[in-house]
Amino acid sequence: MPEATTPTVAPSRPSLATAGRPRDAVVDAPATPDFDLVVVGAGPAGAAAALVAARAGLRVCLLERGPFPGAKNMYGGVIYARILDDLIPNWWDEAPVQRWVTRRATVVLTESQALTIDFRSSAWGEPPYNGATAFRPDFDAWLAGKAEAAGATVVTSTTATGLLRDGAGHICGVRTDRPDGDLTARLVVACDGVNSFLAKQAGLYHHEDPKHFTLGAKEVLALPRDEVEKRFVLSGREGADFEIIGGTRGIPGGGFIYTNLDSIAIGVVLGLDGLRKAKVRPEELIADLKRHPMIAPLVDGAQLQEYSAHLIPEAGLEMMPELSTDGMLVAGDAAAMCLAAGIWLEGVNFAIGSGIAAGETAVEAVRRGDVSDHGLAGYRRRLESNFVLRDHTKLRRAPSLVMSERVQQRYPQLTCDLVEALFTVTNPEPKQGAFRAARHHAKRSGVRLRDLARDGWTALRTYG
Amino acid sequence: MAGRPVVGVCLKWVDLRPDVDRLTGAVHRDERFHGASEADQAALEWALRMAEAWDGEVVAVSAGPPAAEALLRDCLATGVHRAVRVDLAPGAPSETVASVLADVLRDAAVVCCGDWSLDRGSGAVPAFLAGELGAAQALGLVRLEVGQPGSLVVTRRLDFGRRERLGVRTPAVLSVEGASATLRRASLAAVLAARDAVVEVAGGRPAAQHRLRPVHVRPYRPRPQARPGPDPALDPRLRLLQLTGAAVERTPPRTVVTDDADEAAELLLEQLRAWGYLT
Repeated sequence: MPEATTPTVAPSRPSLATAGRPRDAVVDAPATPDFDLVVVGAGPAGAAAALVAARAGLRVCLLERGPFPGAKNMYGGVIYARILDDLIPNWWDEAPVQRWVTRRATVVLTESQALTIDFRSSAWGEPPYNGATAFRPDFDAWLAGKAEAAGATVVTSTTATGLLRDGAGHICGVRTDRPDGDLTARLVVACDGVNSFLAKQAGLYHHEDPKHFTLGAKEVLALPRDEVEKRFVLSGREGADFEIIGGTRGIPGGGFIYTNLDSIAIGVVLGLDGLRKAKVRPEELIADLKRHPMIAPLVDGAQLQEYSAHLIPEAGLEMMPELSTDGMLVAGDAAAMCLAAGIWLEGVNFAIGSGIAAGETAVEAVRRGDVSDHGLAGYRRRLESNFVLRDHTKLRRAPSLVMSERVQQRYPQLTCDLVEALFTVTNPEPKQGAFRAARHHAKRSGVRLRDLARDGWTALRTYG
Repeated sequence: MAGRPVVGVCLKWVDLRPDVDRLTGAVHRDERFHGASEADQAALEWALRMAEAWDGEVVAVSAGPPAAEALLRDCLATGVHRAVRVDLAPGAPSETVASVLADVLRDAAVVCCGDWSLDRGSGAVPAFLAGELGAAQALGLVRLEVGQPGSLVVTRRLDFGRRERLGVRTPAVLSVEGASATLRRASLAAVLAARDAVVEVAGGRPAAQHRLRPVHVRPYRPRPQARPGPDPALDPRLRLLQLTGAAVERTPPRTVVTDDADEAAELLLEQLRAWGYLT
């Protein structure tokens, strides 16, 4: 073929979303499939979907690639589980929680400064509680146990490697990594976590971009229980949640410290692009955090128990895939339902919320005998009517604002310098006015007042 | 089952990831991480292969608490015909364990065991078991050749890297190494069926009737090893250099990349000679 000739159908460069995507296996869908519903992934989204569907009498299989639900998890954050109030009344009496978060601090860090907004509420230490720290292997196993008790079949150490489609192209099950491992179902719910292979294979992701992801890296440090309580000024089951802005050598992201009963989790969340450009390893940044004058006394003498890292879908609505297709729903991190909106960092509640909606939709669709994309439309409606998509829609500008260069690098320095200037007594010099000091430090930090005003307006529109 | 040879396999339900407190040395166990060691998994695989070759049946047995039934269900999923849990508290003496296992495995032509347990057991159960069953015992096996029913040729590891091939006649108790075989992966249908399969439960025998009784078992402690230190007469800097090995000339590691396979092989041989592996 001459060089200048253009083929009728130009072979396009595979996109990130489709590159290396396995071909779907085409099978004869049996009249009676193995299960009504196959839920892939026994995290909070999958367990909630399985629990709802099993309670409604569906034959449910909950597939988990780890040896038990939660085994593959590294999450170390705060769980806001009020979404469970209806599903598991008085869940707080039995959920495997480490501490109830009664102290919430937002910390702005520079190399040598720290500004902390520290809030405490004793109401958060009483039922129905607000947030809790928990080890996800315990929490996920507990929630999946509820689904199993409700009648779901939990199959562990089994990975879904692809989708099964019938002759008409509708998804009718999953292929697993076990011999004779095809599992047919009327409906599949993909809760296989961030970077969902099933959602990609189904073609639901159209514009995947590494900039949409962050890497969370975490160390769990052992400390005696009384030492945790002394250092973080806690008692009983009270817990602390420190969210940190700055302290990542300018890489977009932030840090965190959470208290468990006799350990603390400390870590960083880093934009992939910035991390790649900075050519620094995440554990070095955690080491930086631990050396910071404000944090060092909190972690002094603590023994490293565990190190782990995981991708986080950070871009919210911007990266969300299509949520359903013929024979399949997507929920939890697989559908990028993680809220990273600066002052609100939530994931498990969004996973559970979407899982419940997926379970309810599955029950409705299977009973009606219509698991087509049209028949699954109730899923999006449910998500739009509750916090899952409403919060994401309302806060859709937050991820780009929070990860912007000014918020990540300039404002922390500006804020800390300004506060330091205000509280530094330089007698015999008289006190500088706050506005004058603000202008001076804004100029020194390279922040133009019109940018500050624009970001303030964006923040107001986002969070207001 | 009458007429078909029975192959037994003994599996120990152990914590595959015990958590040891660095300050106190206390061991925290988590039932979710319990399972069979690689050696026990290899034993199961050999038992299945033998039963297939001899048209026999496999009986899997584990002495432990009810949670050990999860392990036996995994065995059933791989193709075991019968699974028996002997109700026995953890930490029972080897002779007790062997005697209760023997009660289940009296009819077995061959019993396969892992050659050591992950929880630093004494490795004595197979020997006691062979004694109880009046069977031959071969241990440290790295390979089994399954012949006609009742006949086996096994290869076992000896000291200094030597190997020994043994002809074994049944009944026999065989202890295999973990690397000798990889356990097959159970099919999905078998995994689902095993969830509802019956795991038999047998009662344990009281320990009092045994001739041996452990009086005290000390926890495992690695022996301290004497390491020659630097000459104390040297100044601190030189002692530090000796301890760290800094500033010592050594052959730097090198990576050779070549497209020519013959040349690459020659370079590898040359390097192995230089390190003293080839003479």
